[in-house]
Amino acid sequence: MASQNMDPAATAASASAALKGSESGGSAARGSVSKRLQQELMTLMMSGDKGISAFPESDNLFKWVGTIDGAQGTVYEGLRYRLSLDFPAGYPYQAPRVKFVTPCFHPNVDDEGFICLDILRDKWSALLDVRSILLSIQSLLGEPNNESPLNTTAAELWNNQDACRCYCITTFRNVKG
Amino acid sequence: MAAPVNVQTPSKTWELSLYELHRSPQEAIVDGTEVAVSPRSLHSELMCPICLDMLKNTMTTKECLHRFCSDCIVTALRSGNKECPTCRKKLVSRRSLRRDSNFDALISKIYPSRDEYEAHQRSVLERLNRLHNKEALSSSIEEGLRQQARYRNHRVKKPTQESDNTTFSGGEDNGDSRSHLSHDSAPSNTPHPSGQTPPEAGPSRKRQRGSDDGSGPEADSGSPTPPLRRNKERPASEIELVFRPHPQLVHAQDYNQTRYVKTTANATVDHLSKYLALRIALEDRRTEGEAEDRGREEEGGGQRGAEGGGETGETSRSGEGTTLGNISEKQYTIYITTRGGQFSTLNGSLTLELVNEKYWKVRKPLELYYAPTKDQQQPQAAQPLPPQLPAPPPPPQQKSPPQQEG
Repeated sequence: MASQNMDPAATAASASAALKGSESGGSAARGSVSKRLQQELMTLMMSGDKGISAFPESDNLFKWVGTIDGAQGTVYEGLRYRLSLDFPAGYPYQAPRVKFVTPCFHPNVDDEGFICLDILRDKWSALLDVRSILLSIQSLLGEPNNESPLNTTAAELWNNQDACRCYCITTFRNVKG
Repeated sequence: MAAPVNVQTPSKTWELSLYELHRSPQEAIVDGTEVAVSPRSLHSELMCPICLDMLKNTMTTKECLHRFCSDCIVTALRSGNKECPTCRKKLVSRRSLRRDSNFDALISKIYPSRDEYEAHQRSVLERLNRLHNKEALSSSIEEGLRQQARYRNHRVKKPTQESDNTTFSGGEDNGDSRSHLSHDSAPSNTPHPSGQTPPEAGPSRKRQRGSDDGSGPEADSGSPTPPLRRNKERPASEIELVFRPHPQLVHAQDYNQTRYVKTTANATVDHLSKYLALRIALEDRRTEGEAEDRGREEEGGGQRGAEGGGETGETSRSGEGTTLGNISEKQYTIYITTRGGQFSTLNGSLTLELVNEKYWKVRKPLELYYAPTKDQQQPQAAQPLPPQLPAPPPPPQQKSPPQQEG
């Protein structure tokens, strides 16, 4: 009973608070976002992860370029993919917009490079960062979710790994040429 | 088994893990025992995983005991899923959190002055950013270095001058001819004074330089004809110079290299000085790194290593991280010999073209000397020196005299 009454009120209150927060904290928020991005950049540089890298595209800390090396033993082995990461002002409470710049033949990546990955959508958590995103995408490459494909051709072809590899390489080459 | 231990209340059942059942409380440390905690692990304990900063007004989730700044977790719950950002356990509302004043007290005990900590944090970040730029720089230097090494390999076979056709780069003879190939030609991509831009150029600018240089090796390897000769009389816009340590002010083993440099004539003495400071700082770093693996096997190399080791004791090592950040044209003073064999300090704002016209005149590469600027060594200190040394002796380390001298 009580909880039934409580819930809508709480939602309304938090919604108005959220509104207020986003209005007042514009520049302050931006400052804290760039601080967090700087921290991330630092840890990324320190960690020296193999197979992934990311760096701000230019002076703008809110746009990064990342690279992912296809993992060994997958059809993406030996291919290096570039991605763009676009951080909203609400980062890290909102997920960055991440897409492939290098065309990628994959069941969960569409022609435009958009990626269907839960942690970039409803499963986003403020704890996730550039590093975890890139690692997730790297593992997504090897283990696609064929249930909800963006690229149906790729999903159908997935069982035939040799053909997949061919497709991957052609798609990859097409850009370069 | 475990049933009797479980605390049964009408509303909740607590399932205790095996560990929780058997653990005994940690004994309090009451004597003077000190426990060392590395700053890194301390930081990760006190850090909010959302803002990656030190916890502020700590809130702890009641069920999963994860800590966040009050602001951070409140914003996160407002804008995201109603779950713990760390472990995704359901967090219905703010009421699933409790204020953790003990933890706040702990933090303020460890860092009594939060402002101070934050200032420190900022400066670390800033330094890192700068350092990173320098890292990008030195990696691009490495790249240019390799390119030039290849280039130099070509030329070494021909009896041509060492420093020919290298734009503001230079070979310095440190007595070990092989070491040219490994670390001499670095500055081809170094920010250099030839443009009016200061050396803190971004990577994009260096890329330009790289492509500039790229034309060199191509031209060289493409055609068997030797690179452009000096006697072809370059347009006045470029100037070549031989750059030596000041024989009286610099200890023989300090910077024992003669540097050959070519740059545009409108570069000033300050530019040159800054370039030099950067070069020396980079070499110090490299020497430190190489000193170990190179050992003493090579005479020249060993000497450099030893020098690096000795020197670093006071200055370079402590400044390793910061040296590159502090590069300034004030670090080295540039001298030229006047007719009487005196060393005269050059004003930083003079362009090399002017220096050439005013002091040098002859059709030889401009010869300049450098020495670290020191408090007790005011720039003018050069003049009062006893004039017993009419002409500077050649640098002691030099095995192959510069061919330019002829």
